Amino acid sequence: MAALDPIKKAIRSPRGAGSAAVLVLVVACALFAPLLAPYAYDIQNLPGANTEPGWTHWMGTDEFGRDLFSRIVYGARTSLTVAISAISISVAAGLTLGAMAGYFGGPFDRAVTAVVDLTWSFPEILIALILIAIIGPGLQSTMVAISIAYLAQFTRLTRAQIMALKNETYVEATANLGAGHFHIIFRHLLPNALTPVIVAGMLATGDAIILEATLGFFGLGAQPPTPSWGAMMSSGTAQIFIAPWIIIFPGLAIALTVIAINLFGDALIEALDIRNRLRSS
Amino acid sequence: MRFTTKSLILSGSMFAAALAFGPDAAVWAQDATFVMPSDDVGAPSYDPIRGTKLNAATSLIYDRMVIQDADQSFHGQLATEWESSDDGLAWTFKLRPGVTFHDGEPFNAATIVWWVPQFEGTENAFMTAAIESVEVVDDLTVKFVMKNPDPNLLSNMASIFMGIPSPKAYDAMGADYGVTAAVGSGPFTLQSFTIGQETVLASNEAYAWASDLSENQGPPHIKTLTLREISETSTAFLELRTGGVDMLLSVPTDFLPQLEAEKSITVGTLPGTGIFYIPINTTVAPFTDIKVREAAALAVNQKEILDNLFGGIGSEANNFLISSLLAADVDPKLNISYNPDRSNMLLEEAGWTMGADGVREKDGTKLQVALWTQNGTEFKRVTEVVQAQLKAVGIGADITVFDSATINDQYRKGNEHQLAVRSYSWANADIIDWFFAGSRLGYPNVSMWNDPKAEELNKIAMTGSRTWEERVANFKAYHEYVLGQFVFAPIYQPVQSYAYSTDNITLPKTIRGTRIQSQTIVDITVN
Repeated sequence: MAALDPIKKAIRSPRGAGSAAVLVLVVACALFAPLLAPYAYDIQNLPGANTEPGWTHWMGTDEFGRDLFSRIVYGARTSLTVAISAISISVAAGLTLGAMAGYFGGPFDRAVTAVVDLTWSFPEILIALILIAIIGPGLQSTMVAISIAYLAQFTRLTRAQIMALKNETYVEATANLGAGHFHIIFRHLLPNALTPVIVAGMLATGDAIILEATLGFFGLGAQPPTPSWGAMMSSGTAQIFIAPWIIIFPGLAIALTVIAINLFGDALIEALDIRNRLRSS
Repeated sequence: MRFTTKSLILSGSMFAAALAFGPDAAVWAQDATFVMPSDDVGAPSYDPIRGTKLNAATSLIYDRMVIQDADQSFHGQLATEWESSDDGLAWTFKLRPGVTFHDGEPFNAATIVWWVPQFEGTENAFMTAAIESVEVVDDLTVKFVMKNPDPNLLSNMASIFMGIPSPKAYDAMGADYGVTAAVGSGPFTLQSFTIGQETVLASNEAYAWASDLSENQGPPHIKTLTLREISETSTAFLELRTGGVDMLLSVPTDFLPQLEAEKSITVGTLPGTGIFYIPINTTVAPFTDIKVREAAALAVNQKEILDNLFGGIGSEANNFLISSLLAADVDPKLNISYNPDRSNMLLEEAGWTMGADGVREKDGTKLQVALWTQNGTEFKRVTEVVQAQLKAVGIGADITVFDSATINDQYRKGNEHQLAVRSYSWANADIIDWFFAGSRLGYPNVSMWNDPKAEELNKIAMTGSRTWEERVANFKAYHEYVLGQFVFAPIYQPVQSYAYSTDNITLPKTIRGTRIQSQTIVDITVN
């Protein structure tokens, strides 16, 4: 399939292959968590709290005696679900808004640009914190907050792409043949503008994992006992001198996942030759 | 760049001289930074009359008429002597001469005449409810004419809510009072206050009226005192360990072993004055059913929490009052203790049958409830264990963590919470009135409990006692009734622990009072 060719090409590079392997592992953890986790993630065993890593508990236990490995495996599900859902929503909304603004121009474009520029001027974490303060903490709130926080990025990128493409000859020809606006946008412009947005979405997923972990660290993301890597690190800070593994392993999980996403994103950019395409456009 | 021995000696000498003789040297050397108890985080003002949440700095800004020692005895602060008439319908207080507020206004009988009526219409009105009027006997003597005898009057007078503000400043500032400025006669003056972050105090150099609980009768030794609000215990611990702060006014029990292992840190304890508990919202299903309330209360395993979260330090809480209070000595049958069998039986009786996922169901509805808590290591840890303990009897609980500064406003909405993990610190049986009186629904009455019989017992306990013994008996009856209605679940009774850097500060050998407040802090020296 031609659509998978860039991915195959990216995987052929050492950087792409290594990062893809890590990502497959993380996704497998998320998908098969109930099979991979040796213990239930929420069963407490208070007398066994803060047990060091060993044969019984490979990554030790947390302050409630819960198996840390099991919680990290389930935590992958939380992190990936939140990050991928949030970025998917954000990409879909950004593509639509950016395409409409770029294609139609005029007051609608000015209004969208003004709002996007306003949100673009704040860091994503600040926007997410404000939104969660309004809608309340929780997993769904975190998804909504992250998707809105990243909306500006995808809207701007799509709008720029559409503005560059809408004056191409083939678009004018399609219009002259009587095609409607929505036909032009969705059949001709968006497919050609999609690739850089998808790659940006891929890279933003890594950032979204960090943002989810940050919100979890502040107690605003997934609520206990649902495992979230950020929340696990937060509770580990209280035990840092007596059970450092509680903070180390979730930290490593976040770092590995985000590095893998970024490296794979880089490999994908090279495979798609996006930099040159953007330069030429 | 090269340094010669001569230049190094010269610059070193100049630096030493600057430290020793520089204009700011003495002040710099006597600064201290303390961390407030995590319970105090988010107190929104220093208005002792209208405030419902005050923090540790309040006792440093304001003096009270009397203060209480650890042995429950009362000692004069702004009052030097007091006596009650035989029928309890009049109290006469002699006031301390020469006291001035931070704004230079004098403290005298006129201050008291102004102060007592200020409580009317506030949430703290119960403190002065028994006082009919205040009469001036002379410039430094006042007489309280009582509506009814109030054996608790001195205890109320010793509360930090009875800190006396400057009438002139209070009237002039209106609603802003306590937020932008606070003017008392205490050993420190308020320099700045950022809610939820820190309060900076400066020594009141005119201070010469400390109580006999303090060795130092003059101004405090600490010239600038910063009181920081840090909700995360681990952060506070790290700050003390790395020298960022000099003292933690409260240390969670689980940190004691780590602090005791530090050579330059000393840990001390005082008898506890508070309880961790779970208010149960009686107005929201399924807790409108007393059987479900009782089941939830009996699902809490106090011993497991005491042993595993608090290392066995402190004690289990089985009712609403700290064990040193006589009204805590209720009929043992009414104490609330872990009983999972009865908890399960009650839920079955109430029609909640166990579902496949371990959460009970009734008519297609899951027994899934909202469990609220606030920021702070202890709160979050206790809440997660409570969540697991409730699950063990088939009650699913969704935890929501709120910022400690905003959670009380959330409670005031009344019908969004079902269970919560909270704590209080108060060494008087009238705390039952505070948290369960029908006039304070939402917050402080987080249980939203409004029951005619309880209101009647409340009234008798609060205003119908002529002697201390009668008051104890009345509060005991009120307490027993509250216990029998399962409007809360008791969890844990902590001790008060504090820790300080011995390199930086020195505490008096004996800590007087019921907690570390102004009477101790004026004696603390900076090393």
